[in-house]
Amino acid sequence: MLKYLARRLSATFLVITLVSMSVFGIFAVLPMDPAALTCGKACSAPVIEANRHRLGLDVPVQVQYGRFVKGLFVGRDFGEGAAAFHCPAPAFGYSFNRHECVTTLVAEAFPVTLSLAVGAFVLWLSVGVSLGILAARKKNEWQDRAATAFVLIGTSLPTFISGILILLFVALKFNLINPIEMGRWVSPLEDPVAWFRTFIFPWIVLALLYAATYTRFTRSNVIETSTEDYIRTARAKGLNERDILRKHTLRAALAPIITLAGLDFAGLLGGAIITEGIFNLPGLGRLSIRAVLRDYDLPTILATTILAAVFVIVANLLVDILYAYIDPRVRVAS
Amino acid sequence: MSGLKTSRRILASTAAIALAVGVTVASGTSANAAEKPVTGGTLYFVTNAEQFDHIDPARVYTGRDIAFLNSYLYRNLVSYKPVAGSAGSSLVADLATNTGVPSNAAKTWKFTLRAGVTWEDGSAVTCADVKYGVSRPFAGDVITDGPQYLVQALDIPTDKDGASVYKGPYKKTGQAAFDKAVTCSGNTITFNLNRSFADFNYALTYPAGAPVKASKDTGDKYDLRPFSNGPYKISSYKIGDQLELERNAAWKKSSDTVRTPYPDNIVVRFGLAEDVRDQIMLEDQIPNTASLDALQPANLRAFFADPTKKAQRFNVYDPYVRYAAMNVKKGHMDCLDIRKAVFFAINTQALIDLSGGREFYGDPGDNPVKPVLGLDYAKTTGNIHDANWKITGNATYAASLLEKAKTSCPDAYSRATAADKGIIWDLSNTATSQKAAVLIGDAVKAAGINLKFNFIPSGQYYSTVQNRDKQNDISTAGWGADWANASTVIPELFTKEGGFNLSQNWDDAAYAAFKKKSDATKVETNRAKQAKGWQELSQYVMDQYWIIRPVFSKGQEVWGSKVGGVYYWEPQGNFGFGGMYVKN
Repeated sequence: MLKYLARRLSATFLVITLVSMSVFGIFAVLPMDPAALTCGKACSAPVIEANRHRLGLDVPVQVQYGRFVKGLFVGRDFGEGAAAFHCPAPAFGYSFNRHECVTTLVAEAFPVTLSLAVGAFVLWLSVGVSLGILAARKKNEWQDRAATAFVLIGTSLPTFISGILILLFVALKFNLINPIEMGRWVSPLEDPVAWFRTFIFPWIVLALLYAATYTRFTRSNVIETSTEDYIRTARAKGLNERDILRKHTLRAALAPIITLAGLDFAGLLGGAIITEGIFNLPGLGRLSIRAVLRDYDLPTILATTILAAVFVIVANLLVDILYAYIDPRVRVAS
Repeated sequence: MSGLKTSRRILASTAAIALAVGVTVASGTSANAAEKPVTGGTLYFVTNAEQFDHIDPARVYTGRDIAFLNSYLYRNLVSYKPVAGSAGSSLVADLATNTGVPSNAAKTWKFTLRAGVTWEDGSAVTCADVKYGVSRPFAGDVITDGPQYLVQALDIPTDKDGASVYKGPYKKTGQAAFDKAVTCSGNTITFNLNRSFADFNYALTYPAGAPVKASKDTGDKYDLRPFSNGPYKISSYKIGDQLELERNAAWKKSSDTVRTPYPDNIVVRFGLAEDVRDQIMLEDQIPNTASLDALQPANLRAFFADPTKKAQRFNVYDPYVRYAAMNVKKGHMDCLDIRKAVFFAINTQALIDLSGGREFYGDPGDNPVKPVLGLDYAKTTGNIHDANWKITGNATYAASLLEKAKTSCPDAYSRATAADKGIIWDLSNTATSQKAAVLIGDAVKAAGINLKFNFIPSGQYYSTVQNRDKQNDISTAGWGADWANASTVIPELFTKEGGFNLSQNWDDAAYAAFKKKSDATKVETNRAKQAKGWQELSQYVMDQYWIIRPVFSKGQEVWGSKVGGVYYWEPQGNFGFGGMYVKN
């Protein structure tokens, strides 16, 4: 098991390195000049060159990458003379558009995205799995048909539509949220009620989409598992339906759902761009999209990209380890 | 069609515009003389933007941000009078005891500081603070984006690249030269300039000339928390979230004849989705709120169609002239007949309708100088006053001009008409621009011109077209005067040294005479003579078709039912923030 773990961790490290190098490479070849974007009207050649130096873009891309990696471990200094300052390790860089060390920006945005992802995850998993089980058990009855309708609606409504609809015609229409306070980050430790009010509608929007998928997936898995021989055997042995479902059917049917849930959760941690945008949540998604579309802010893009990659890779790793733990055949095959 | 350079300001009255272009504009004020301003409460502002462009005084350069920050946070030596109408364009002493004393043919300017002005920590604002504030824009690698008038005007030598030898207070390179150009004697600060600058005090209405306390300067991070000497100070500011101001206890009304701080707190909420922002305003959900943005077109029309909101809106001519700049460099639009052909072919009416119609977008213009500049504007001849010009386009006349170009400039004719070549027009890549391109393309095609479009991402647009090698044949742009003098328009847009010359006209045969006259007009201290000079130069620009189809554009602002004291502050092209209060 330890050998397997070591092998997977090495692969994880390699993938993260490749992701960071790719982002650096992409920005090096794009026909855009971040230095030119930092100055407005007074964009003379000397000013652009001075800004290029300030941004650390006046050296070859491999040197820039070396500085980036070094900064992750020992921190990094920016600026010169009386305007110099330091970003402590792990330093992803400095955002000259937001006047902050990128690590600080990410640290501020992460709790928002985490709150969004955790709440939505709990909601979609509980609703999706429950509905899926219900639909499977009541196959071809009205409950099943209602669940199918929910699946159709949920999967066919993109979040930018469901988000706007819920926001404008429910949350704001009935004064369920204060629009001026909408999306403001409140820690659940300080004010759990305000935290809940901030996130309940974004949770619903995300859960609507994901729960529909999970309903369908759970339903088909439960129906399929129910036809297995060992379920028939259990039933023949006289076990009641509740115990068959709980002890035998769900155990087998939910294993792949847990894998899927892990990956979806990790993907959300990288930032739910549309939902964060609609509900004005200052999370990683909004941070990324602003860095890409408005600021062309390489350090921030790099940090959020690497973080998103880390979430997915770590989730993959955890799922694989879990599988290897549950099923020794995986270890042997690996 | 593209984002504008939003760093300009204008002066003079909307009445003057109405007279000049023959239309009327909606109300520019909600201020009711009978209504007594109320002190207290929280005044909210909402915006879709993630932040103010800058709040560091040396970096602020948009009319809205200047108006807001100057009203609440920091003071300049001189300010615009905070009143509605053309009176708002007059200067008043702010930190200084008067609006400045010029001497030496306006090459030397002196200001004496008012007594009793303090920072938010209670310490006195000194001449050294003003001098330090003025020094910061020279640090071009830290203090980006701000206006450069002080950097250009102070009598400090330049290097071979034309850059100042003084590199700002952080590196202190060339400090002696700066110390010679800006001197303090007691409470009197003296600016020594490299040319006659009759309206130098107008340049000091920009916060780039505001004091900064050196011990509080945090370089780049000062853009997050400037130290206040105004009636409010920052209690919190987080980009993408909100800016919250509270009263500055150290500020004394006795030291400030300009500001009238009514609300106890001021909150700017950033990043609201456009639909949410519009709903707040349309439904008056938070009545003590004003929007810092114009609403989305459909919602804007709904708001202006609602008679109950008559006192909660204004629709005025904004500070900008929108236009298409002709790149007249050799090999581009170097043929006058081709430039004219493009101009006469375009369907201006369709383009204006596309962007909101004359009611909300603006009117066809005849000048790079907007009529609100009053003295410096004069109706030109030719262009939209030409008998052949039709607002819906005149393909026949454009085709005849093209035919003329066949012999007057055959190379340019070939480029403009050949299927494998064609004229290239730079546009910002927005949905409106995409539609505009179809309208323009169809119109010029009817005249026989082959026009192609280069769509540039919005955020990269100006940095791309300002790159002389990357700019194509025609570029869409917008510009407004920095203050009530076309010296901030004509030389900026049409001389080689100008900061926004998209015409690249210095090799044009018509340039030498133009430049000579522009230089002479710039240093002319007789204002009437100077105005005459700008008028003639505007005519020259239009005769050369260095720009085509200027539009005198409009802007709209809306606010909630519990916001009082709102007026249009003409010099800043925005709300007069200082007069706004929360009604009971």
